[in-house]
Amino acid sequence: MNGTALYYLLFHLTMSCNFKFGGMKALLMMGVLLCLLASSAAAQTSSGQLTITMSVQSSITLVFQNNPSVGTTGFCPLTNAGTNNVGLDFGTAAFPGSFHTSACVNYTHLTAAVYEVSSAFDVVVTKANSSSPNYRLAAQISTPPPANVSWLLNNVTLTTASFTTLDTADSYATAITKTLQVHVKNTVAAQPLLETITFLATAN
Amino acid sequence: MLKKYISIMRGVALAGLLMCSALLPAQTTASGVINGSLNNTSGISIQFDSDPAGVTLGAAGTNAATANFGTVSAFGPLSGGVTRPSVTAGNFTVRTIFDVQVISGGLTSTTYTLTANLAAAAPTGMNYKVDAVTLTTALQTIQINGAYNIDIAHNLDLVILTAAPGAGGPAVNTPITTTINFTATAN
Repeated sequence: MNGTALYYLLFHLTMSCNFKFGGMKALLMMGVLLCLLASSAAAQTSSGQLTITMSVQSSITLVFQNNPSVGTTGFCPLTNAGTNNVGLDFGTAAFPGSFHTSACVNYTHLTAAVYEVSSAFDVVVTKANSSSPNYRLAAQISTPPPANVSWLLNNVTLTTASFTTLDTADSYATAITKTLQVHVKNTVAAQPLLETITFLATAN
Repeated sequence: MLKKYISIMRGVALAGLLMCSALLPAQTTASGVINGSLNNTSGISIQFDSDPAGVTLGAAGTNAATANFGTVSAFGPLSGGVTRPSVTAGNFTVRTIFDVQVISGGLTSTTYTLTANLAAAAPTGMNYKVDAVTLTTALQTIQINGAYNIDIAHNLDLVILTAAPGAGGPAVNTPITTTINFTATAN
């Protein structure tokens, strides 16, 4: 029975009363009206469901950071530090006179004919949703360097042939300091030496 | 003589009747009425719509839609319409945007209140937020003054712990399904 029908029924019953109660009839009518108003004021609601599906996957990330000693000899600042794509500029160097323009590089004559410039930085690998206890770290250069030029990390010579393992069990979320070195023989012609070194961290 | 007179009068009367009947029009019309009635009641309905910036909802435009985030991770690629607004040491958040539209009729109400709750407890390592309101199985108010008959965008955030499975983090490489109940109530 809807509200209107109920109202008419109650109205009819009320008006059919022959009681001589004076104001009682009016009170009864008022009560009926209040009930109807209350029922019509009931909140209108609507419900729906949104079902979400997803799958979580383990992941790790690698970023390069400036070493806390950045700015001192052997610790040049990275450009774009804190990301996985940074720059490291050794400036200009030459064999004669141990010439080098960068104040932060470490310049050394290794032999009577080879000099080295180097700078250290940090590698941080972070894991998420993984039970892996540690990770392996490897690196590879992208293009073959000119003859008598070599690129090294912590004294390990890098090649274009494959990734060279640097560490086998580094800890996650821990800064691992690596030193990038360039060895140049004094017979190498003056030229820019550019290299992209790719680091690969693999969860164990 | 009287009989002849009566016979003549009968003939005259019959002829008159025939002539009159020929002049009367035929009955070619009829009439009736329909007593129509309509009880126009008031009501509201809720539906979920895909937002241009979010994932495409399954069964969009209904009140029982699905949102598939695909494979999510702290550092890996995400599906279209899914973003990763934050990554911290303890958790990461993936987000999509969906629209809610509440349609009204026969109401004097101009706005509605939107509430939501999880249909079941959140899976291990997972938290769900709608517009920064963390959902539980109890009703939470999402919006108190939603306008009717327009799409209103809401952020749906999944906050996922980075801990490993078994160490507080969620299960990995396993589909996780969660249902959120929404209720719109006319103000």
